[in-house]
Amino acid sequence: MLHTILAATLLAVAEPDSVINLSGVTVSGKARHDYQTQSSQSGIRVSHDYLRENLSGSLMQTLEHVPGVRAMKIGSGQSKPAIRGLGFNRMVVAENGIKHEGQQWGDDHGLEIDQFAIDRIDIVKGPAAILYGSDAIGGVIDLYSNNIPMAAVEASANLFCRSNNDLIGLAAKVGGRHGNWFYKANVTASQYADYKVPTDSIQYYSYYIKLDNRRLRNTAGRERDLSAALGYNGYNLNSTLHLTSTYSKSGFFANAHGLEVRLSDIDYDASVRDIDLPRQSVEHLKILSNTNWHNETLSVKADLAYQRNLREELSEPVSHGYMPKPDNPLERRFEKSTFTANANLRLALGEHNELKTGATLEHQHNRRSGWGFIIPDFDTRSFGAFVFDCYTVGSALKLNAGLRYDVARTTTECYTDWYTTPTADGGREYKQRAENLRRKFDSFTWSVGMCYSTGSWVAKANFGKSFRTPIPKELSADGINYHIFRYERGNAALKPEESYQADCSFSFENDVISWQTDPYVNYFPNYIYLCPTPDYVEGLQLYRYTQSEVLRYGIETQANYKIHSSLSLDVGGEYLFARQLSGEKKGYTLPFSTPWSANVGLKYTFEAIGGGHIVLNTNIVGKQSEIVPPEKPTDGHCTLNLALNKHFETGICKFNLSVKADNLLNKRYFDHTSFYRLINVPEAGRNFSVVLEVNL
Amino acid sequence: MMVLLLALSACSNTDDSEKDLDMPQIADAGAATAPLNCQTFHTGETISFRYLFTDNVELGNYNIEIHNNFDHHTHSTSAEECEAEPVKAPHNPWVFNQSYCIPPKSISYTAENEILIPDDIDTGDYHFMIRLTDQAGWQQIKSVAIRIE
Repeated sequence: MLHTILAATLLAVAEPDSVINLSGVTVSGKARHDYQTQSSQSGIRVSHDYLRENLSGSLMQTLEHVPGVRAMKIGSGQSKPAIRGLGFNRMVVAENGIKHEGQQWGDDHGLEIDQFAIDRIDIVKGPAAILYGSDAIGGVIDLYSNNIPMAAVEASANLFCRSNNDLIGLAAKVGGRHGNWFYKANVTASQYADYKVPTDSIQYYSYYIKLDNRRLRNTAGRERDLSAALGYNGYNLNSTLHLTSTYSKSGFFANAHGLEVRLSDIDYDASVRDIDLPRQSVEHLKILSNTNWHNETLSVKADLAYQRNLREELSEPVSHGYMPKPDNPLERRFEKSTFTANANLRLALGEHNELKTGATLEHQHNRRSGWGFIIPDFDTRSFGAFVFDCYTVGSALKLNAGLRYDVARTTTECYTDWYTTPTADGGREYKQRAENLRRKFDSFTWSVGMCYSTGSWVAKANFGKSFRTPIPKELSADGINYHIFRYERGNAALKPEESYQADCSFSFENDVISWQTDPYVNYFPNYIYLCPTPDYVEGLQLYRYTQSEVLRYGIETQANYKIHSSLSLDVGGEYLFARQLSGEKKGYTLPFSTPWSANVGLKYTFEAIGGGHIVLNTNIVGKQSEIVPPEKPTDGHCTLNLALNKHFETGICKFNLSVKADNLLNKRYFDHTSFYRLINVPEAGRNFSVVLEVNL
Repeated sequence: MMVLLLALSACSNTDDSEKDLDMPQIADAGAATAPLNCQTFHTGETISFRYLFTDNVELGNYNIEIHNNFDHHTHSTSAEECEAEPVKAPHNPWVFNQSYCIPPKSISYTAENEILIPDDIDTGDYHFMIRLTDQAGWQQIKSVAIRIE
């Protein structure tokens, strides 16, 4: 929703540390106390209220209308994040300061986060390599679950349901504070059925897939999340230990797994709630500790984390090429353990100068199994260190500059097929798909920025370099990707991907109007691109990793006009352009290019019976004809949405009711960045959702 | 900055004409087109493959892949459903997978290949998959259901 958008607008007016609550989105001033190291960067803070009022099937779908942020949907309950068109390993999701490590590279791998456990989110748009090292090219979604309970015992519960996929869920929270000590615990469980699309059949190639009751067969799922925290909050010292565990299981659309149309003996239409093959399940365990000690001039922070991500993808075994029919449905299994240690130091060097320095150490251990090979076993060890300085000139101008060095070592293990393939000389061999590989990557990154404020205006500018270490799939894949039915070949000679970005932000705000616009230009000398070739390997089209020059630029803008004390108008929009400047696909865009979009929303706030608001919003998305094989152009669309939020109190309980109607007109449209777009599956039809929050 | 963006978007539209945004096409090649959907062949015989490939810029390569459909997984791209044999387990199913080159700079090419059906394979329902690329990396797929007796 657009009202979200305005958010960032307020930067200017905010005193350092001030937080302004606008239309349900709390936007913070980009002052030094918020992002000490990135004061010149464009960012938005998303509050717990915003998450509740916009609650959708997954965290990223909830954030989808934040300008510059996109959800790449995988059915109704899973999605991947993208910032300014960059997703996968080109952006970072961090939770309480630690980079979240799942299997980000996969097209169908969603983000493993319980949206009910999150207290607030800071979204950094633009490169953030100085703080996060590799991958933070597009930006960072910084999740925080570190609110400290204020009472001896406090509890809340959220009951939520959605009509489109018959979702029902419950999230309960309890916490308390005793002196300097506190505890928190969360549990969330939800279950959903196959989701509904406004069409009777899917047409893919010349094949018609008839749907039963307009439901997308086998897209049901369930989720179960637990989290707990124990902490100490003293005058100089605070420390928290977090434990989170998420589990989700969801089906893939049964009739076309990846690009191949298949029929099956499974009676998918027997129940809309069962989860048959093909399906995926993911468990993510995270143990995380944050410790911070500070006095007037010095602050020292240490974070330690262990994460274990276990992903299984199951599908009906079939023979393919020379691979005989496997005897079990386990197509892929990935088990990834990540150990991370961060240390940061912040030092005030006099009144106008603040120095920050830090280091990160990370170890990843990844093991695979299953009959489908796509990435080899690998281990990655990386180290990065940075120094960042922020200098204030007078009261209006702040300057900052930072420098970082990273080094990473990746070791991949060789992999040979479990079945034999005939050779040219008439024999048979177990083909080798990945070789033993040891690579070392290092990179220097830097950034400079300024922030100038005068009266109601703020101007910011930022220029920086960021990078990304090639992932093992890019270095050493050599096999069939059964999810997309293509042959993917890595390139062991890839260099670290580098990116240079210049961005700026202008904003204005007074009592009636607020406005912000954020243009950016981004250049990659060596973007790592999976290039479709005209060649065939083992009966499938060969896609090969290459590096090419890429230019991207775009703009986000948003404005809010207070028509009346109880009525306001929100308008916003974003545009993004990407072009490959060299290589085999010179002149083409990049995959999953975000089309332009605009939002117009009218919000009416009422005081009566406890207060609340109603928002009527229209979301217009342009046609995307900038495509690259095997994508298809996607027509534009327009949806109408309505949201109602109402507070009320009875006795000791406080209630908040959010009712939302998405796609009110039940429009049939496609989302260019959705996983199912390639097989012509339209987006979900009309949906009503209700969230009832009870606070004790 | 906005002027710069406008300038960039203005000049970037000029190279659209260079981009190939169309898939190649697989079409019937007259009366001799083979194999046709639901066509029956016999072990020891030859399938005289013949289809017409076209592209707006330049054809790439093609691949013929034949695998059994004993489990009725049915990914035919034809609207017509063929009468299928009962489901059965494969013992010695025929696996054929061969890629072929198309002469450079072709925008139209009639592909003709003689494919010998081995004597000792399992008879039954098979899928005859034709995959065609163009130089830009677009792919077209055609799946033909055949029976081998």
